[in-house]
Amino acid sequence: MRYNEKELRALSRQPAEMAAELGMRGPKKGSVVKRRLVKLVVNFLFYFRTDEAEPLGALLLERCRVSQEEPSAFSISFLEDPERKYHFECCGQEQCQAWVEALRRASYEYMRKSLIFYRNEIQKMTGKDPLEQFGISEEARFQLTGTPVDGWSCIGSRLDALD
Amino acid sequence: MKLHRKSVLSLFHGHRTQAPDQEGILLKKGTRNTTYQRRWFVLRGNLLFYLEHKADHTPLGLILLENCQVEPHLKAAEPYAFTIQTPGVEGTRGRTYKLAAENQEELEAWLCALARVSWRRLAALLPALEAQYQELCQAAGQEPSSPPEDSGFLAALAAPSHFQELHERIGKEIRVLRAVPRGLQEASDNAGSSSQTKLEQKFDQCLLMTD
Repeated sequence: MRYNEKELRALSRQPAEMAAELGMRGPKKGSVVKRRLVKLVVNFLFYFRTDEAEPLGALLLERCRVSQEEPSAFSISFLEDPERKYHFECCGQEQCQAWVEALRRASYEYMRKSLIFYRNEIQKMTGKDPLEQFGISEEARFQLTGTPVDGWSCIGSRLDALD
Repeated sequence: MKLHRKSVLSLFHGHRTQAPDQEGILLKKGTRNTTYQRRWFVLRGNLLFYLEHKADHTPLGLILLENCQVEPHLKAAEPYAFTIQTPGVEGTRGRTYKLAAENQEELEAWLCALARVSWRRLAALLPALEAQYQELCQAAGQEPSSPPEDSGFLAALAAPSHFQELHERIGKEIRVLRAVPRGLQEASDNAGSSSQTKLEQKFDQCLLMTD
């Protein structure tokens, strides 16, 4: 599967949602814990050797399960291969819980589902669509029916104000 | 840098239980071979996959859409053309993907779908809505509930695939049946010949809300 390495590298240099030095152990049997700089950027988890600027690798955080394994350790596994787990060791319980929460919320799919859920609930309670104030109530990806909307209307969105 | 394939394929194969944001044929200009080649494109979140054929199990490639610029390519020889400009490292230009749709309708659909894929925009919206919901719950003296967990994943962990599919299908049917009285009530509220279509739409909505 081809991808542009520059795109991925550029992404790894973006401001991070979270970054810390953690112990990391790959899914293969017999793999050992190594100190890595772990950086969460949008829905990607990058990991670096602690003294290097280029990431060693990247994990896409979609359709994955983040579990707290021990008070200060968590794991990530993917729907594609649920038995293989990536293990991470934190300094303490607080750091661990913060990472678990952040990684779960990093998934695009999770955010979209949450948004649709809150939109639906707010509409039920107030009779008004909360996305209208942002001018994006017509955007296809927030529709319950998932049908695309006609052409240009959503391009001039007031969402630009958030930039 | 190693991009862990299985994590990416996890998202891609999600189309078994979840429709993508946009999919269809687009012409893609190659880098070495500069003719336009027909590819099947699938948009999921901030990732754009392309396949040689719609039914292929593994994508040919993927394009990361975070922070990219999408624009119609008005001066192209190919009609209905547009470009995706991805950011490079250290402010340099990344790659310019040259694509073309097969007609005006498809072009507009793709431009619209690609215009707002950013994860960051979505992340900016969510806290505002969550806060509004919690305020409303507090005012109503109601316990706020959380968005549903990804039940498809949990089912896959627990059971072999054929059982999982059966489980999900039956679950969906139960939820649709529960939603029927609501749907019928609203359809009859909207009097007239369009009530049948509205009812069908309501069924679709209910099905999709449970995903």
